[in-house]
Amino acid sequence: MRKTLLALALGLTTTAAFAAPGHGGSQPSVSDADIDRTIRFEAGDMWFDPEGIEVEPGETIRFEVINTGNIEHEFVIGDAQAQEVHREMMQAMSGSHGDAHAGHGGHDMAEGEHGGEMPAVTIAPGETADLVWTAPRNVGRLEYACNIPGHYESGMSGKIDFQG
Amino acid sequence: MARSRVITHPLSRRQILKGGAALGLGSAAALGLRPSWANPWGQTNVYSKGVEDGPEVALAIRRESIPIAGQQARPISINGTSPGPMIRLKEGHDAVLRVTNLLDEPTSIHWHGLILPPGMDGVPGVSFPGIAPGETFTYRFPVRQNGTYWYHSHSGLQEQLGHAGPLIIDAAEREPFRYDREHVLLLTDWTFEEPTSVFRNLKTAEGYYNFQERTIADFFADVREKGVAATAEMRGMWAKMRMSSRDIADVTGSTYRYLLNGHSPEENWTALFKAGERVRLRVINGSAMSYFDVRIPGLKMTVVAADGQPVQPVPVDEFRIGVAETYDVLITPEDDSAYTLFAEAMDRSGYARATLAPREGMAAEIPERRQIADRGMEAMAAHGMEGMDHASMPGMDDAGMAGMDHSSMQGMDHSNMAGMDQADAQGMSAERGRMNANGMLAAGAAQPGSRYDQAGIGIDSGEHRMLVYRDLKAFTPWPDRREPERELELHLTGNMERYIWSFDDKKFSEVSGPLHFNKDERLRLILINDTMMEHPIHLHGMWMELENGQGELIPRKHTLNVKPGERVSALITADAEGSWAFHCHLLYHMDAGMFRVVKVS
Repeated sequence: MRKTLLALALGLTTTAAFAAPGHGGSQPSVSDADIDRTIRFEAGDMWFDPEGIEVEPGETIRFEVINTGNIEHEFVIGDAQAQEVHREMMQAMSGSHGDAHAGHGGHDMAEGEHGGEMPAVTIAPGETADLVWTAPRNVGRLEYACNIPGHYESGMSGKIDFQG
Repeated sequence: MARSRVITHPLSRRQILKGGAALGLGSAAALGLRPSWANPWGQTNVYSKGVEDGPEVALAIRRESIPIAGQQARPISINGTSPGPMIRLKEGHDAVLRVTNLLDEPTSIHWHGLILPPGMDGVPGVSFPGIAPGETFTYRFPVRQNGTYWYHSHSGLQEQLGHAGPLIIDAAEREPFRYDREHVLLLTDWTFEEPTSVFRNLKTAEGYYNFQERTIADFFADVREKGVAATAEMRGMWAKMRMSSRDIADVTGSTYRYLLNGHSPEENWTALFKAGERVRLRVINGSAMSYFDVRIPGLKMTVVAADGQPVQPVPVDEFRIGVAETYDVLITPEDDSAYTLFAEAMDRSGYARATLAPREGMAAEIPERRQIADRGMEAMAAHGMEGMDHASMPGMDDAGMAGMDHSSMQGMDHSNMAGMDQADAQGMSAERGRMNANGMLAAGAAQPGSRYDQAGIGIDSGEHRMLVYRDLKAFTPWPDRREPERELELHLTGNMERYIWSFDDKKFSEVSGPLHFNKDERLRLILINDTMMEHPIHLHGMWMELENGQGELIPRKHTLNVKPGERVSALITADAEGSWAFHCHLLYHMDAGMFRVVKVS
């Protein structure tokens, strides 16, 4: 099964998202022509490959994220601070003990700071998910991360640097 | 790095060179420049007692004068240091470890947690005859696992003299975490008394090392809280068990100096990092008798391995490490400042301490030590008892009751320990739904009477997050997915007053033969702790898959902590033909009789 998610991030605080309904490689409602390039990502236990990327402001990217690990992962784009807020929230949701992932459904957007939202996708082991994202302008640096408790701390993050 | 007494002893040139490399930071600096995952096992070989790299290693065992905590001492040394050097092996290699005994008594080395042929396991009288004075024994075995382990003498009480060290095995494949730097932290408990005299003191005067006995002031405080009758009853109960409710540990800080990598808290051993680095700490409890609670104020730790086996990461503020257990944790210090690595003895009678810092010569605040816990309160928590209502206590059975001495337990029916059979009964009905065809619980399910969601005595779980056994979860199921064919139940038993420790009320000297495992059977081992102390139970030669309720993803361990009154179970695949040691890893408990041989045939 392929899960397709579109997220057009026009800035950190103004974000629009469309979850494409249905299964089986249904095409995004944004035509391929709007996508400048595709980056294939591997999400393993506990790493992302590649480890960092460079983007141009305004560029629209399709991330194809393959989970080659044994457990569920997520792929979230945001600034370091927003990622940390999201991480703390997920840790709190997991309760003090027990299943670290309880209550964390397959969300499409993660709460960021200032009420903003971060494009996010959750990927089950062996599956691939797409995320379409337009790099914002006037932003210095972002991160992609998996904020399932302990995953970021084990190494599941990378830097997004902006050219020019 | 580290004030290492290494250089004060006669050493070979090679050892000095290796020691120097361990103290330097050159290799670590280089590692920081490239993506850390490109070398996920990027080792820095930082260990203050030197490093012996495999696959061929030679170790010389001596008794010599080496100062410990600034005082004259005569520990057992391994290649001139005590505790011994770190041995570093690689998964997939064939290890050749030559151990030369320069003591005037037999010795041995057991490779704790390693799966290897029975003749290489290093237990005198079980795996081999031991190593006689002046002799060299060569251990040869294929290295088929990776992770953080340790080694120690399995002869008499030698381990108490510092005859132990870290054993690190680098992985053949990428591990499920990334890091930039690593440090090995070996916790030990040192006494300036001879171990034989410690044992004699325990035998002849129970409570010898307990300076935390309840005082008359405590008595009046109890009376204020609970009234005279309840207080008197409670006191009577503990007296009948031949225990003080403050017996958290039977050997304590009144004789022990708690050491980290061989250094006392005052010596402040320092582990270096650069701000922003992800650092792996390989924590080993190589002490004879002491459990520790480990924390780094100001830093979150993420537990990534237990007993050398990877687990799904668990962010925690603190973890308790039983004797002989190992935990790997990741930390990411973002600030260019010092942090205290604090390992507080479970009975709060002392602590080991080191500093994590970006430079030498720094120190951070040492946290205040916490109050000593009370066993009486723990016993009640164990059985879900909140209040002190001692009015009605129907149907006392001794099932969950801590039987230090069953014969002296009459009169317990008016105590505060009631209702435990009822609590267990409720647990049973809840579990019944998960029974398999043989009437046994499904593989991986937690036994009624287990307390995997509790860290244990002396922990106020409210304030911060403490690791518990329930958190430990493997990434993938272990290879043998069979349901257990058979259950083997063993009671952990003891008599504090006479300092006898045993399984099923039989000391090792009293049993007629070994415990028998059928070759290749899938077995459930159930351990029921009838005593009021923790026991770290260690099986040699085979893994124990701890049934902590994580189903297919239960973790596997070489040492299981069983809390007072607790019932713990593990699945075992009896695939290792031969004779193996099985014992409590509290050194004096093992010596007192809490030891069995397991024969697989």
